[in-house]
Amino acid sequence: MAKRMKAAERRASILAVAKVLFADKGFHAVSVDEIARRVGVSPAVLYQHFSSKEELYEAVLENLSAPRETYVEAALDGPDDFASVLYRISRVFIARVEEDPDYFRIELVSVLEGGEIANRFFTSRWQSIVDYIEYSLKELAMDKRIPAVNERAAALLFQGMIREAIYSKCIVNAERYKGVSLEKLVQQLLHLFLQAIGYKEKENV
Amino acid sequence: MSYVNEELDARGLNCPLPILRAKKAIAGMAEGDVLKVLATDPGAVKDFEAFCRQTGNELLQSQSTGESFEFHIRKQ
Repeated sequence: MAKRMKAAERRASILAVAKVLFADKGFHAVSVDEIARRVGVSPAVLYQHFSSKEELYEAVLENLSAPRETYVEAALDGPDDFASVLYRISRVFIARVEEDPDYFRIELVSVLEGGEIANRFFTSRWQSIVDYIEYSLKELAMDKRIPAVNERAAALLFQGMIREAIYSKCIVNAERYKGVSLEKLVQQLLHLFLQAIGYKEKENV
Repeated sequence: MSYVNEELDARGLNCPLPILRAKKAIAGMAEGDVLKVLATDPGAVKDFEAFCRQTGNELLQSQSTGESFEFHIRKQ
């Protein structure tokens, strides 16, 4: 048991060091040797926990994001209308990023690295919110509860707003938004978004 | 499968849509009724386990049929 605990602690320390390095330098510029050196172990010990740098990167992302169950809980815990669900799942997302902005730094660096790393980030983190918006808007328009709207562009609009809010609040710490919490800012943006797509909150709850 | 009372086809939908659909479907069913859900989202297995834990309904069956996942949920 003591040995197992020790292994778990070692794994956690590898993840913590790797997270900071990936956030500072990106995936490609960090080597397994460097991570092992910073942790104070040999690369062989690191490979006992993670078979490759890719696996370690996935584990860092997995460790940083809110557990999937939290999203399920957020989706179920309250009214089912589009605006309420979107707000609750967005809140889970931003709360996690706010807790540890390295999550967002890793995303920004991954975008600069381009290709597969950036795509992997999108698929694992943004896609479910974007898909939810696209699909829901298509249905709402079919039911004539909102005017016809380009749902793909609308989903991109929402993603861009949230990303920019996180960027301004958590990375740049912009003076301009000091007086408003990230959660409040996201609430205000969501309200503007709903107005833009012609969604009437009171009628749709 | 004669004990299935209703079916929900959530194939092609990603989280959170399948669980929201399931919540809606179950709300209209009677206690003891069974809902069958088909889904393709790779995370659906974990999602429906969490769904049943949180809603107090019983997950009778969770299996992969190759192309999709099939869940049987009894309303409690």
